Amino acid sequence: MTRIRTWIPAVTAGAALVLALAAAACGGGPGSAAADPAGTSLNGAGSTLVYPLLSQWEPDYSSKTGATITYGAIGSGGGIAAVTSRSVDFGASDAPLTDDQRRSAGDVIQIPWALAATDVAYHVKGIGNKLKLTGPVLADIFLGKVATWDDPAIARLNPGVHLPATKITPVYRSDASGDTYVFTDYLSKISPAWKSTVGSAVQVSFPTGVGAEHNSGVAAALAGTDGTIAYLAISYVLQNSLDYALLRNAAGNYPDVRIPAISAAAATVKSIPAGGAVSLTNPPAPAADAYPMATFSYVIVPASSPKATALRKFITYAITDGQQFAAALDFAPLPEVVRRYDEQQTALIGRG
Amino acid sequence: MARLPLPARRRSWPVRHPGDLAMHGIAGLAAAGTILVLVLLTVQVFRQARPAISRFGAAFVWSTDWNPVTNAFGARDLIWGTAVTSLAAVLAAVPLAVAAALFLTELAPARAAAPIRTLVELLAAIPSVVLGLWGILVLGPVLAQHVEPWLGSTLGFIPLFSGAPSPAGLLPACVILTIMVVPIVAAISREVFLTVPADLKDGAYALGATRWEVVRGVVLPHSAAGLTAAVILGLGRALGEAIAVTQVIGGTAAFHASLFGPADTLASRIASQYQGAVSDIQIASIAFLAAILLVFSLVANVGAGLVVGRLQRRRLGVR
Repeated sequence: MTRIRTWIPAVTAGAALVLALAAAACGGGPGSAAADPAGTSLNGAGSTLVYPLLSQWEPDYSSKTGATITYGAIGSGGGIAAVTSRSVDFGASDAPLTDDQRRSAGDVIQIPWALAATDVAYHVKGIGNKLKLTGPVLADIFLGKVATWDDPAIARLNPGVHLPATKITPVYRSDASGDTYVFTDYLSKISPAWKSTVGSAVQVSFPTGVGAEHNSGVAAALAGTDGTIAYLAISYVLQNSLDYALLRNAAGNYPDVRIPAISAAAATVKSIPAGGAVSLTNPPAPAADAYPMATFSYVIVPASSPKATALRKFITYAITDGQQFAAALDFAPLPEVVRRYDEQQTALIGRG
Repeated sequence: MARLPLPARRRSWPVRHPGDLAMHGIAGLAAAGTILVLVLLTVQVFRQARPAISRFGAAFVWSTDWNPVTNAFGARDLIWGTAVTSLAAVLAAVPLAVAAALFLTELAPARAAAPIRTLVELLAAIPSVVLGLWGILVLGPVLAQHVEPWLGSTLGFIPLFSGAPSPAGLLPACVILTIMVVPIVAAISREVFLTVPADLKDGAYALGATRWEVVRGVVLPHSAAGLTAAVILGLGRALGEAIAVTQVIGGTAAFHASLFGPADTLASRIASQYQGAVSDIQIASIAFLAAILLVFSLVANVGAGLVVGRLQRRRLGVR
């Protein structure tokens, strides 16, 4: 009997705790009707690339309008999955929807709302920052055809740089990533061998190298091993002061990977194709200072949703006022033609 | 324990006491719930996998492709990765864990045993993502720079130990899994060793047996069934671990026979690619991997049940 008396309070306390936690989780959690009577608060999920921007937008938008934006940086693939299942109000992805994804996502609108770039970063003892590379050489490195850092193909591009004989270890994202999409999209345009053997997507079958999870895993693999080369989001590279390569563009120049070079690439966009997907990689030669691996990040919203008004308002903010935070976070401002397209598309939300 | 006469069989149905009735109801519901979850889960996994099962069929199991661009999928390399990492982890962990448990129950002075036991159990409490992080930052580079070159130069004639060192690959995954399996097997083994009746051991000592003879002749035989269960639980852990393995194995589609090269396992491929799957057939293929993993675990568990049962019967039969 004594034993029973001692466990009853314990069990009661435990049950009360669980109930309290459950209540807290429901009450404060996303999508709760009680917390959002006016329907102005929005939940989003997806791209980690665009997260720094959203973390600035959240407090700013909230102080201006009183509406709360909750964003989970779960990765582009996760963002697409979440908006497909309509468990969030908007998804964010660095890669445009594939045909299959568009089919299962139903009626959605895809809007480019941020402009950034994917960098090629490396960690090689004895080589400083800003090694020069070309697309074909980069493709050969990731195909395993250029296997050491002192390979003539690299040496030719970097006269005067002493290159060690270190083995090259390519590092790639093993999870689905918008950066993988940009990187493989670029290599597919520039190298027929890459296009035919690997192709482009958010996940591909890399013929050589080691995979790592997320930007953080790739950065850790870079830091831990001599001779590594990888592709990473620009903000990640600049904020962690990683060594990055300069890529030769179609004009034959090696622009520094900064906002002006990204803007120069985006300036080549004259019109937006139906569906909203714009590829900025390998821009044509007249853009003399364009970086060849710039990319848009997209917001994907259901064409009709009970939160349509709130979505229109928030996305309008994101593509206008919200862009003021871009430069400090290594995002380039949206070009005029894209902003106009975005406004048009935003107006369609809830009215399609 | 099993030598004791069985306790009187519980009162048979119908139950008269209301407390008994409530307990029957609650316990029965819980048991039914467990089965229901397992059945629903299996049905769901196979339903999701159906497009891949009908498209690739059994060839999926031995096909080596995994290409989201061309939509060619197969599981052979992943099965290889899962088999190598789990078996290596269990082979390395079991002797360590059993020895640790023997030390705690038979050899260590009581004052030392308690803190050591707590520490071993604490090892099980380390979140796998933290272990994985340590794997990326410390273990992988150390293995690649120091251990793998040495292994390659001494044992390089065996394909498993050939090839270029790599910071991510099967070897770090095996080591991480070993670290995860040790505390599980050690904790269970310790509990099993504690059930060896003291009079049996005292009897053996009285006959002049040495410590080693008591361990070999009394403790281990008495514990065989329990130890088998411990090994299988450890194997289950190794088979299913996804996060830490994903972090250190260097998820790749290319096949390397060497322990040094990057590879991937069923669980880790599911974890890293499910969310970002680009096509419906890729999602189905990942579900197919889950189904294979489910079958593996089921076979391991049922097999363990048979072994445990046989060992129990044999031990009881001998006495």
